[in-house]
Amino acid sequence: MNVMTVVERDVSETRSKMDARGVQVWYGDKHALKDVDVAILDRTVTAFIGPSGCGKSTFLRCLNRMNDTVASARVMGKMTMDGQDIYDPRVDPVQLRAKVGMVFQKPNPFPKSIYDNVAYGPKIHGLARTKAELDEIVETALKKAALWNEVKDRLAAPGTGLSGGQQQRLCIARAIATSPEVLLMDEPCSALDPIATAQVEELIDELRAHFTVVIVTHSMQQAARVSQRTAFFHLGNLVEYGETGQIFTNPRDPRTEAYITGRIG
Amino acid sequence: MTQPHIISSFDRDLEAVQALLMRMGGLVESAILDAAEALEMRDEGLALKVRDGDKAIDALEQQIHSECARLLALRAPTASDLRIVLTVMRVAAALERCGDYAKNLAKRSLILAHMSPLGGTTGSVCRMAKTAVLRLKDSLDAFIGRDKVLAADIRDRDRDIDQMYNSLFRELLTHMLEDPRAISPAMHLHFIAKNIERVGDHATSVAEQVIFLVTGEVPEEERPKADATATTSRSTEE
Ligand SMILES: Nc1ncnc2c1ncn2[C@@H]1O[C@H](COP(=O)(O)OP(=O)(O)O)[C@@H](O)[C@H]1O
Ligand SMILES: [Mg+2]
Repeated sequence: MNVMTVVERDVSETRSKMDARGVQVWYGDKHALKDVDVAILDRTVTAFIGPSGCGKSTFLRCLNRMNDTVASARVMGKMTMDGQDIYDPRVDPVQLRAKVGMVFQKPNPFPKSIYDNVAYGPKIHGLARTKAELDEIVETALKKAALWNEVKDRLAAPGTGLSGGQQQRLCIARAIATSPEVLLMDEPCSALDPIATAQVEELIDELRAHFTVVIVTHSMQQAARVSQRTAFFHLGNLVEYGETGQIFTNPRDPRTEAYITGRIG
Repeated sequence: MTQPHIISSFDRDLEAVQALLMRMGGLVESAILDAAEALEMRDEGLALKVRDGDKAIDALEQQIHSECARLLALRAPTASDLRIVLTVMRVAAALERCGDYAKNLAKRSLILAHMSPLGGTTGSVCRMAKTAVLRLKDSLDAFIGRDKVLAADIRDRDRDIDQMYNSLFRELLTHMLEDPRAISPAMHLHFIAKNIERVGDHATSVAEQVIFLVTGEVPEEERPKADATATTSRSTEE
């Protein structure tokens, strides 16, 4: 009978973009991630929450093989994108990271112009043949990152001269300039004030029209606000994974309930 | 309050629960009017339609309730946003009760359809129903328009329904005193009238919710009351 659903929270997307099966991570003999199974849905914002040190960032870094760069890290299990094994020896991790972009906690623009920050990726990946094409890529990325109107008159100004919130949106523009399919964000708002945070959250909601977004956040309210799916990690285990509304109104696991109601830290 | 949120999906969520509430209000208004018409026209088909239609109203209330729970859990609304969610939940509960009264009216009309009419009493019931629905409609309009002046006006208009109820009550008493066979239909009509009067009370409480929504404060002073039936039996004996 429900003729009208609350559209915003309607999670109609069911196609899996990335799949993890039995993923384990060790740092030396520290078992940081234990047997994680997850299906990250296409064009959906998935939030990872859990107490500090539970393995959220570790798992996020598995998704674009950033752990390859950590000498002590050993990753086991199967990880696929569109059904393709991303740990296959034939996969070039640099190419993979163009498809699975990443945005970090602290905005880290290059000490270059706003334009060059965004143009950098497309240039090294050879995505533009002419200056006009590059201009267009830069403009589109800045528009998608909801920054264009604020910077279009000063593209030659240094990226580091922007406010914190603008810098983070510049980093998002930089990440999407290489036309990724997945965007990973590790606590992208923790260095931002509440207004800049709300602007980035609004941007994340818009980005899911084009990308699969995975966000690690220490703020449960942020996960509740921006995501359609939430995964709760605890002591290296994926305790519960489900539709965000369900996780926050009726979690199935007592550990999830304890965490989201502020009973364990 | 009219300024949009930076996170626009928050606005869309808030609008969606209010749209559901308005939908529910529309269903309840027509249920009451249809039930009253079924009573007056002895239209059993229409009565059955109202009786079965209550399920849809209940389902909407359930949906509003769970959407509001999500909103509270996911958005942590504050200030006027919080009052919107609280008001929507309370108004939905009031509308659900009104839907039940419409269903009850429909069921009683099916029984009354097989009894002889008691003068012009069904006509009076219908007028009462129309007045109650009008107040309900006005209170929902006040909600959507955030109109505290209209809300205060609805609150003060409580008298008319109470007076209609009182005069109907006396009329029914007269029928019962004249002819014991009138007792059964008169009792049914009395319950119907009492329920319509309650719809009026719910409209008043919706109006009070609107005042709370707009001002942040629950109106305090006593409303005028004109239900005198607790003492009417004596006056009819005189
Ligand atoms: N490079 C590393 N070397 C050794 N241990 C690490 C490294 N990175 C993370 N760890 C450990 O792995 C566990 C999970 O860390 P992390 O994934 O960063 O957690 P979270 O992001 O949930 O706070 C922690 O105990 C942390 O100390
Ligand atoms: Mg981390």
